[in-house]
Amino acid sequence: MTTLDSGVRRRTSDTRPVITDLIDEATIESIAQEAWISLVGEDEVLVPLPGGPVADPVSSWVDVVGPWTGSVVLTTGRRTAEELTRALLQEHSPEVLEDEDVADAFGEIANVVGGNVKAALPGSSGLSLPDVGEAPALRNPDDLCRIELQWRGEPLSISVQGALPPLPAVP
Amino acid sequence: MKILIADDSRVMRQIVIRTLRQAGFDDHDIVEAEDGADAYAKVGAEKPDLVLSDWNMPNMSGIECLQALRSAGSTVPFGFVTSEGSPEMREKAANAGALFLIAKPFNEDTFTEALSGVIA
Repeated sequence: MTTLDSGVRRRTSDTRPVITDLIDEATIESIAQEAWISLVGEDEVLVPLPGGPVADPVSSWVDVVGPWTGSVVLTTGRRTAEELTRALLQEHSPEVLEDEDVADAFGEIANVVGGNVKAALPGSSGLSLPDVGEAPALRNPDDLCRIELQWRGEPLSISVQGALPPLPAVP
Repeated sequence: MKILIADDSRVMRQIVIRTLRQAGFDDHDIVEAEDGADAYAKVGAEKPDLVLSDWNMPNMSGIECLQALRSAGSTVPFGFVTSEGSPEMREKAANAGALFLIAKPFNEDTFTEALSGVIA
C-alpha cells in the first residue's frame, strides 16, 4: 500500500510526536555548548552560524528509543573530527591518530550530547551505544530538529531526527 | 586508595582520570576496566576502594555490574559517571546501591562535590 504524507503537521493528540514538539534548537545548542566546554576545553565555543558544506563528512550518533524514537547525529569533516579527538585526548594524543581513536572520541561526544537530549525528552527512553560512520538516513523531514554550528571555523551540524517514516495521512 | 574506572570509551576513561586529578584527587592508584564484565572481574581481583562506572557499556552495563556485585555480597563503594542524568536514572542508581551519579558533561567541581565525602 502506498502512503502519502500530507505535509501538514498533525496534532500530537492523534499521532506520535515529532521532535519539534518535544525539543527546540536552543536547547540542543545549549546541551552542545556544555558538552564542548566539559569535553573539548573550557575555552572552546561553538559558534551558532552555518559553516557551509562539509568536506569528507563523518558522523557519530546514538539512538533514542521510547515515546519518540530516532537518532542524535553529529556531522563534521573528517579532519575536524580528528582535531576534536586530539582536543579530548590532550597530552595522550598520539602522533598518528588511529580510526579507532576518532571513533571513540567523536562517538563519546555523540553519547554525551545524545544522553542529555534523551534526558530533555518526556517519558522513559533507552539510549544506544554510539556509532560512527555515514549518518543514518533521514526518514521524515518533519521529524527533524537540526542546528548548524562552527567549531574553530569548521562546520559541524547536530540533527535530532526521527527513525520512522511519516504516518499515513488521516482521512 | 585504589579507584576502578569503568568505561568502554578509552578517551572518557582518560577524561575521568584527568578530572579526578584536577579536582585534587591525584594521589590514588587507578585501575581501568573496559566494560561492566571487566569491572566486575576487576573488583574481585584488584579490590578497589571505589568504582566509578559508566552506565551504557557492552557485555554488561554499569547497573548490571552493580547489581551483580551486590548479589555477590560486595559492598564496594560505587558511583556512576554517565551521560544520562535524568531523575529516573538517578533513582535507579540509588535503588541499586550507588552512592552518587555524576552526569556527563561534568567538571572538577562536580567531582569534588560528589567525591569529597567518599574519598579520604
